[in-house]
Amino acid sequence: MANTWGYGAMTNHFGDIVKHSKAIMVIGANSAVANPIGFKHMLQAKDSNRAKLIVIDPIFTRSAAKADHYLRIRTGTDIALIYGFLHIIFKNGWEDREFLKDRVYGMDLIKEEAKKWTPEETSNVTGVPVEQIIQVANVIAKTKPMTVIWALGITQHSIGTSNTRILPILQLALGNMGKKGGGTNIIRGHDNVQGSTDMGNLADTLSGYYGLAEGAWKYYAQGWGVDFNWLQKRFFEPKWMNEKGFSLAKWYQGVLQEEKTYSSSPIRAVWIQGTGITSMAQTHKMKEALDKLDLVVIAEPFLNEAAVITDRKDDLYILPTGTQFETEGTVTATNRSSQWRSKIIEPLYEAKSDEQIMFEFAKKFGFYDEYVRGMMMGIEDGVIKQVKKDFVWPDDAVREIARIIQSIGLTGWTPERLRAHQENWHLFDPLTLEGRGKMKGEYYGLPWPCWDEKHPGSPVLYDIDTPASEGGMGFRNRFGLEHNGVSQLASERVTVRGSKIKGGYPQITKENIEKVLGIKLTEAEKAKMGPSWAMDYSGIIVKKCREAGVVPYGNAKARTIVWEFPDPIPLHREPIHSPRWDLVKKYPTYPDQEKNFRVETKYISEQQKKDWSKEFPTMIVSMRVVNLSGAGMLERTSKYLAHITPEMFANIHPDLALEHGIKDGDMMWLHAPHGTKIKVKAKHNFSVTPDRICLPYNFAGVWQGVDQSDKYPEETRPYAIGEPSNLITNYGFDIITQISEFNAGLCRVEKA
Amino acid sequence: MSQAARMKFYCDEDRCIECFACAVACSVAHELPVGISRRKVITLFDGIEGKEISTSIACMHCTDAPCEQVCPVDCFYIREDGIVLHDKETCIGCGYCLYACPFGAPQFPRDGAFGIKGAMDKCTMCAGGPEETNSSKERQLYGQNRIAEGKVPACAAMCSTNALLVGDAERVSEVYRRRIAGRGTTAY
Repeated sequence: MANTWGYGAMTNHFGDIVKHSKAIMVIGANSAVANPIGFKHMLQAKDSNRAKLIVIDPIFTRSAAKADHYLRIRTGTDIALIYGFLHIIFKNGWEDREFLKDRVYGMDLIKEEAKKWTPEETSNVTGVPVEQIIQVANVIAKTKPMTVIWALGITQHSIGTSNTRILPILQLALGNMGKKGGGTNIIRGHDNVQGSTDMGNLADTLSGYYGLAEGAWKYYAQGWGVDFNWLQKRFFEPKWMNEKGFSLAKWYQGVLQEEKTYSSSPIRAVWIQGTGITSMAQTHKMKEALDKLDLVVIAEPFLNEAAVITDRKDDLYILPTGTQFETEGTVTATNRSSQWRSKIIEPLYEAKSDEQIMFEFAKKFGFYDEYVRGMMMGIEDGVIKQVKKDFVWPDDAVREIARIIQSIGLTGWTPERLRAHQENWHLFDPLTLEGRGKMKGEYYGLPWPCWDEKHPGSPVLYDIDTPASEGGMGFRNRFGLEHNGVSQLASERVTVRGSKIKGGYPQITKENIEKVLGIKLTEAEKAKMGPSWAMDYSGIIVKKCREAGVVPYGNAKARTIVWEFPDPIPLHREPIHSPRWDLVKKYPTYPDQEKNFRVETKYISEQQKKDWSKEFPTMIVSMRVVNLSGAGMLERTSKYLAHITPEMFANIHPDLALEHGIKDGDMMWLHAPHGTKIKVKAKHNFSVTPDRICLPYNFAGVWQGVDQSDKYPEETRPYAIGEPSNLITNYGFDIITQISEFNAGLCRVEKA
Repeated sequence: MSQAARMKFYCDEDRCIECFACAVACSVAHELPVGISRRKVITLFDGIEGKEISTSIACMHCTDAPCEQVCPVDCFYIREDGIVLHDKETCIGCGYCLYACPFGAPQFPRDGAFGIKGAMDKCTMCAGGPEETNSSKERQLYGQNRIAEGKVPACAAMCSTNALLVGDAERVSEVYRRRIAGRGTTAY
């Protein structure tokens, strides 16, 4: 998404769906289970707007049960289905031509590709009947505004990045972007997922999507008040500073080095804080890596079962961490709104809050002063400098974030404003997010971008009918000024309301600001100004933009072609382990990847090694159960939640089960192509068809048939344990993000 | 003539998504033993397109409560606002009420020797029992008395989709009628 129009986040918000959406397309998301409160808003939209709910999913989910149209898709064929819709849309001229002409680059190539996706071919690939494809294409083309909602069912694929591009392309074709009730609403399932993404808890970027290039590091060195050379010396060699690290999906290869890795040394220690290892794919490899490391440290409020799956006897430390009630700070909701969260109690017993643990860590390793100095910085007379000798947690951390992360406009997120939002919750309209009374003129949680301390936040991204100072904007100018001789700026007809500049304009830099805004800077202003809007501690660029009604990041076209990617336009590619050997030849996956996140990854060599479907004919679909989240470690320690699903199971169609002599409630083995197996209870269920089974990923504590209860430290065994389904999640990773292929794979069913 | 409020539950099946929030909120609020389900969430025709339906069921606080009529020791009483309660110290655990109840609401502990039943337990609409309001004895036998505190029952307060409605029957039916008018569907 960020590669289509600038930012990779939910564009609208839940209240907006209730108030304005006339159609809601949910694809690769089961919000009724993964986000019940979010799903309420879709149900409310049905009541308030008679909104049509379309659910596209390989299984008939609880969300599908509430749908007006349910499309049962084969796993990993989302791109084919969307092209099938686009085929019908273009054929009938239902696309929004004006929108495409003014605000989109490259739709012609999409139109060409869509020509191949006749309803018949789409049906052949996706398994959705031809009549239903035509019917739903009609509904989505003619019911406006429509919002598109997705979650991990879209991203967790070897073609996940392309998946996340084809849906924005559909919304662009229909002209549903920048509109109330439209947009692409990617639902974050857990608390603060948006916030941790914004903070760059990833191996390939500094916080705020700044990347790892030298310019970004230098900008950060300034913001943190540390010497760039000191930062660089922390790395083994300077070049590693600009290299992506290992990803969460394949870090174990940094330890095991079975696939070719690119690193100065094997990984020798791992620190796990806030992530459930057993909810990661290739769990058997994670275990091998945990066994082999010199040191494993786990810092969690509940026991992380990484400590249970490993056989190591020594050098494993478990640090008790406080929960969200034992610390204070901000969290970012799925719609880019920030919320202040108060501390309810001090950390219990010997537990420490997350930040206390990190401070102790920094002290031990001798960089505490540099670590906390960013919180003592301030901007005086347009220049960033250290302004005090101590800091207040978490206020000064929030101020540091606001000062540095200009890229997504966190500049206006001061602790004072966010606290006021928390204290005056009741003064905000839940559907429009608009404040009343003393909160008038602000949107709840100041959804980013919130360009400065007077900005109200931006509830709907890319809305040009709203002035910049009230949250309006065009698409971001992120991909240069022209491509193949075509301007990437919005047409002269796309003027953000109230803007001094008619039509499109580039992102504002020190170099172009005078020309674009038609102003004259003083020498003093020039001296203080940073190189561009996202790296300007002086705040002068944002200030001048505000005066001109201009959005600092420009006003450009969205693009359907990402010329830097292996697939410049999204293409359907069969899963690595596909049930359709005939289609594997026609829609092959990528060539093997030499290096991404420091490791090689197999694609075509694995896919075409043999017809996997002969030995492993059944598709695996991953699901969540409503009472457990993530690795389930927290919820399985609650007796009432554990009672709902006391043991691991798989939903299996009676026809498939009985073919193998498996009665309802019998145990069965599920075998994966890479040689692992899990033993789970069979639940006869009609939500799956006989060609696929469906299983929750929220269990651990049983390992390939062996109960691991004795491996839990005293009194930490949860009420419910079970096989981690990710033991059999097939090999496969996205070509860009390296997220695991959780949602398309094969297995073999056997009676236990 | 003003009519006294009659308290009713209603679960809007078009809204219920089987998230179990009501059932878990109930168990937590009243600290029930695992296995005593004052409120249950059920899905019928699980996985069958066009037929699957989820709903939340507990004591429906019937106007003409069959449990009350069959009880051999007369432990039931119906409050003026229609909430059906019972006296656990009078109850002999015979199970007649369970046979009479069309909703399977009465719950019995089953951990005694020979499967002997203890006193019946059921949804009180968070209105406690015959003991002194908000006394520790009331809390121990019947759980929280939220109604006495002017609070909505724990289940409906926790409902993630506002499927579970509770309150004066007139108001509940008004809310539901407005919803189905918006949906353009008809009530079953």
